[in-house]
Amino acid sequence: MRTPGSVDLPRRRLLQAAAGSAALATGATLSFPAIAQAKPFQGLKLRGAAYQHGFFTILRKYIPEFEAQTGMTVDLQLSAFPVYNQQADLELSSGGSAWDFCNVTFILAARWVAAGLLANLDDFTGDRKLTPAAWNPDDFVKGAQLPYLDKAGKTYGYAWEGGAMLMGMSRTDLMKKRGVEAPRTFDELMKVAEAVHGQDGGAGPVSGFVSSNLHHWFLPPYVQGFGGDLFVDPPNNITPALDSAAAVQATDFYARLLSKYSPQGVLGYTEDQAKAALIGGRSNIFIHSSSWVTSMLTSPDSKVKDTARVMRMPAGPKGDFPAANSQGLGIPKNAKNKEAAWEFIKWTLSPELSARIVKDTGHPSICRRSVIESAEYKRINTINGQDIGKLYLEVLEQPGKTRNYMAYRTVKEFPLVGDVVNKAVERVVSGQGSAAEAMKTAQDAALASLRRSGAKV
Amino acid sequence: MAAASYERQRRRFTRAAIAPSLLFLLVVAGLPTVFLLVTSLTPGALVNPGSLTDFAEPLRNYRLLGSDERFVGSLWVQARLSLYTVVLQVLLGTGLALLVNSAEGRWQSLRNLFVIPMVLPPIVVAVIWKLIYTPDISPIYGAARALGFALPAMTTHVDFALAAIVLADTWEWAPFTFLMVLAALQTLPAEYVEAARMDGADAWRVFGHIVLPYIAPVLLVCTLFRLIDSIKAFPLIFLLTGGGPGSVTEVTNYYAYLVAFNFGELGYSSAITVVLLTVTVLISWAAMRVSRKQETTE
Repeated sequence: MRTPGSVDLPRRRLLQAAAGSAALATGATLSFPAIAQAKPFQGLKLRGAAYQHGFFTILRKYIPEFEAQTGMTVDLQLSAFPVYNQQADLELSSGGSAWDFCNVTFILAARWVAAGLLANLDDFTGDRKLTPAAWNPDDFVKGAQLPYLDKAGKTYGYAWEGGAMLMGMSRTDLMKKRGVEAPRTFDELMKVAEAVHGQDGGAGPVSGFVSSNLHHWFLPPYVQGFGGDLFVDPPNNITPALDSAAAVQATDFYARLLSKYSPQGVLGYTEDQAKAALIGGRSNIFIHSSSWVTSMLTSPDSKVKDTARVMRMPAGPKGDFPAANSQGLGIPKNAKNKEAAWEFIKWTLSPELSARIVKDTGHPSICRRSVIESAEYKRINTINGQDIGKLYLEVLEQPGKTRNYMAYRTVKEFPLVGDVVNKAVERVVSGQGSAAEAMKTAQDAALASLRRSGAKV
Repeated sequence: MAAASYERQRRRFTRAAIAPSLLFLLVVAGLPTVFLLVTSLTPGALVNPGSLTDFAEPLRNYRLLGSDERFVGSLWVQARLSLYTVVLQVLLGTGLALLVNSAEGRWQSLRNLFVIPMVLPPIVVAVIWKLIYTPDISPIYGAARALGFALPAMTTHVDFALAAIVLADTWEWAPFTFLMVLAALQTLPAEYVEAARMDGADAWRVFGHIVLPYIAPVLLVCTLFRLIDSIKAFPLIFLLTGGGPGSVTEVTNYYAYLVAFNFGELGYSSAITVVLLTVTVLISWAAMRVSRKQETTE
């Protein structure tokens, strides 16, 4: 049975509770804009895709910080490189909106940019509300940014990774023994390969040179070094120039390196096999992107740390054209959460996070000049007294400094031509024909393929 | 009257019973095939979104196929690969079956060993042969070097690359013929052979006049099955040679794959696939006809 007092107590409590709730509600209303400013993307799920790469493995460790700052969650799907490229080609070309951000693959960047499949990032960098001045888009090495610009100079991606073609020499001990110096010209390269080839390396004969089956990546620096290119004037005139005198000379030169001074079966070598031959000291020279050749100095499996040296690749008689590339992050044109995606890209490629990643993990292949030139970066990337960072920056800058000689690779029809280049090199190395014959066949095949695909050549 | 009504009901029931399966087949197999046919009539390319619905010149891809040397070359490579693998597999499988069938006791248990390659996933088979064919790590190449002679790099040598694929494919699929022929041999009535021997027939005559005619229908089925399957050769080529060196081992389905996924030309790749599909259907149709004819003869 209730007493009057027993009724009063809950009523009083009710009144107190009501007053408290009102105060809280008022406070909450007043404070909401502040919370909204701090976490503008609260509850949003950001979806993105890229290919499996050490950078993203590292990035994943930092993503919880971003999620805590912004309130959004990041769903980053990673696939193998060819799988990702196929998915991305389908997703972007079909106008899909499944991804808010994605990797802009170097070899596909021109296709995607030209077809208008990506959002213009200048809209974000040009808006001070969205991007502070300190983010500084001009800090990205120009050579690395070229693939993500359209003809009007608008930006559709920012580079998260750079690749710079360098020359790794694993057996300088044998070179010294044979009285040869590190090669600086194509002629010297051939001489060094010849001098070292077949020498006893302790665990069997050493090959003078090694490469992998990506000839459409390895051959062009020689073609350009002899004064040619894969296309007449890429990207404006994409008529193939595979049967030019320079292209034939380069193919003959490169094929000689493979057939005379490389390990048996080199045509079937993958990049990993070539790297294993290099770091095992079984092959002396491997010219490839920096991360592949510097593994001689950094890999725990390397048997050649004491005799390894990394240099710029030799220059040709007509110039110095080491290959450089990059991978970018961009936003699909039909992405649902473009501002949130930009927030993620901005954070991922910020000078602060880039510097932290370098400091915490030693990851070297970033594209922000201020970070690459920092004392910390130099300290980390100077190995055995060799300043790898300096070489990396020199090569990455090269296409932006001279002419964009890497433009051939960003032509959207490049995969067609790259494939016939691969076939041509294989034909020459396997003895199916001379360089002139193989490149003539390649030229005809490239023209036919390009015409079939609708290119005006 | 009652019989006719019963028959009608039976037919109706049969139709109703198989309808779900037919519908399922139509969705699973029919629709993708229709999509393939339709795509082959367009210049469809991944980088050109509108091109998949462009039917302005529907037969363009098929017209281009005739002048595509790489496509024609791939058909020739396919024909050679099919011929070599089928002949080898049927001969080797039959030989092994005859051996095991004539053996006694524990030799019979060898049949389990022979079957292993066939039950392995194709990509595992490709990896095994990749290890065998890679000069750096292959024990065979190591042994040859130790003995003082050099073997050619099979998968990158113009004269041996196709042979390398044939060898690996034969290792994988000869057991199919082996199993089929062994099963047939085990049903061969012993009295036929005994009677022939009593009449003075030697082993070759017994084989030529009794065993071979008896297993001939099985051999024919094996040949046709392997022929159809040889057109699907992909993992070995993908992993061992990549179609090279040059285009020495580039079969038609591998070329179709490259056109679709490396070059992004879905329309043209679909046209190649339609041609390949037509060839396969024709062979299958011939196989079924031969099989039915034999059943009728028997």
